[in-house]
Amino acid sequence: MTGAAQDGANVEIGGGPPRPEPSAASLTPRAGRQAPAAPGPRSLRPWSLPLVALLLALAAALAGSPYAAHHATLDVADAVRAVAREEDHVTALELAAWIRDRRPGLRILDLRSPAEFDAYHVPGAERADIQAVPSLPFRAGETIVLYSEGGTHAAQAWLLLRALGYRRVYFLRGGLYEWLEQVIDPVLPAGDDAATRAERARIASLSRYFGGMPSVLPRAPREDALPIPGARASGTGGGATGSSAASLQRIRRRGC
Amino acid sequence: MSAPFYEYGLLDGRAALWVALAVGLAFGAALERAGLGHAPTLAAQFRLADGTVLKVMLSAIVTAMLGAFWLGRLGLLDLARVYVPETYLLPQLLGGLVFGAGFAVAGLCPGTSCVAAATGRLDGVAAMAGMWAGVLGTGLCFGALRTFYESTARGTLTLPELLGVPYGVVVLAVVVVALAAFRAAEWAERRGGTMRRAREG
Repeated sequence: MTGAAQDGANVEIGGGPPRPEPSAASLTPRAGRQAPAAPGPRSLRPWSLPLVALLLALAAALAGSPYAAHHATLDVADAVRAVAREEDHVTALELAAWIRDRRPGLRILDLRSPAEFDAYHVPGAERADIQAVPSLPFRAGETIVLYSEGGTHAAQAWLLLRALGYRRVYFLRGGLYEWLEQVIDPVLPAGDDAATRAERARIASLSRYFGGMPSVLPRAPREDALPIPGARASGTGGGATGSSAASLQRIRRRGC
Repeated sequence: MSAPFYEYGLLDGRAALWVALAVGLAFGAALERAGLGHAPTLAAQFRLADGTVLKVMLSAIVTAMLGAFWLGRLGLLDLARVYVPETYLLPQLLGGLVFGAGFAVAGLCPGTSCVAAATGRLDGVAAMAGMWAGVLGTGLCFGALRTFYESTARGTLTLPELLGVPYGVVVLAVVVVALAAFRAAEWAERRGGTMRRAREG
C-alpha cells in the first residue's frame, strides 16, 4: 500500500468508501483492486509480459522498416486504353461543370508551388507536392483531378496514381492555362445556329459562375502567345498566354 | 493493406465517430480500472510515492508502439497514413509546462478528469470545468495568440527521423527504457513503503 490514499483530496458525490490503494509489488495497472495473493495455475508470471515486449522489440530492431514501400505495378495496356479513349483527362469546362454541380467526392489537387497556389488556384483545389501525391490519403469513391501549370506534372502524377490502383483519377488537360483561357477568359464561339447558341450560353454561364468575363470577339494574338498543350482545334480558347501569371495579370487589369 | 480504416474509406465519417465513441469509452473504462480516476493516486506519482500513472502510461506506450510497428511490418497498417501532429517547439513547451502544473495541482489530466467526473467525483467535474474554461479562453484569444501558437514550427517529427536511426532500434530503446522505469518505480514504491513503516513503528 502507498500513502497516497491518506491525502483524501477527492470528494465523491455518492459518498462511497475510499478505494483501496494498489499493491506496490503489482505490475498490473489495477490500482483500485487488490492483486491476488498468489498466482493461480493459469496466471501469467510477473516477468512474462515484459519478456514478450522485450522479445518483440529485439525482433523489431532486426525487422527493417515498418513503412510500406510504395511498389506499384502499372497495367500498361489498361493505361494505354484510358489514354486512347481520352479517359485520362478532363477539359477545363468539364471540371468547371463538376465544381459548379458539386460533384460528390470531387477532389482537386494543385501541383504547383505554394506561391503560385496563393496567387491563384482553381476554386476548391488543395495544394500538394508531386512527391507527396502517392502518400496522400485518398478515400474510396473520390474523383481526383490533378492540375499543374501546363499539364506535364499532372499527367505524371496521373500515371503514379493509376499505378497505385486509383481508377477515378484525371488530369486537367491543359493545366491552369486551359482553365484561365476557357473558363475565366473565354472567347465564345461565333455562329447563329441553335447548337452554337446553346454552346455559347453554356460556356458563358459557366464562366460567369466563376467570375469570368466571356467575350464574343476574338482577341488579337499576343506576342507571348503559346499554344495550349493539347488544345482543341475548334475550341473556345484559340491562343493562350505563355504563362498563367500573364493571364492573371490581364484578368486583374480588367478588374475581374 | 486494410488500416487506417477511415483513411482507406472503409469507415465513413459517421461510422468513424461511433468507433471513436466506443474507443473513448473503452479508454475511460481502462483508466478507471487502473485507478486513474482517483486524484490522490495521480498526485502521488509526482511525489514518487505511487508509480501507477507511470506504469499505466508506459504499458500503453509500449503496447501501442509494438502493435503499430508489427502491424505496419506485416502490411496490415499503412503507417504513412497515420496522422502525426506537427511540432511547434516553444508553444508546445509552454503548453506542456501549463499542462503539467495543472495536472499536479488538480491531480487529474483531461482524460482522467472525465473518468473522475463520470464516476461521480466532484474534483473531476471541477477539473473538466477548468479545462473547458481554458479551451474557451484560448479560442477567444486565438487571434492574439496565433503568432506565438504557430512559431518555431518543425513540421512532423518522429524519433527515428530526428535521431537518424532505424525505427526498430528506437522501438527497442523505448522498450528497454520503459522496463527500466518499471523496475525503478517498483523500487521507489518499496522504498517509500519501508520508510513509512519505519516512521510508523
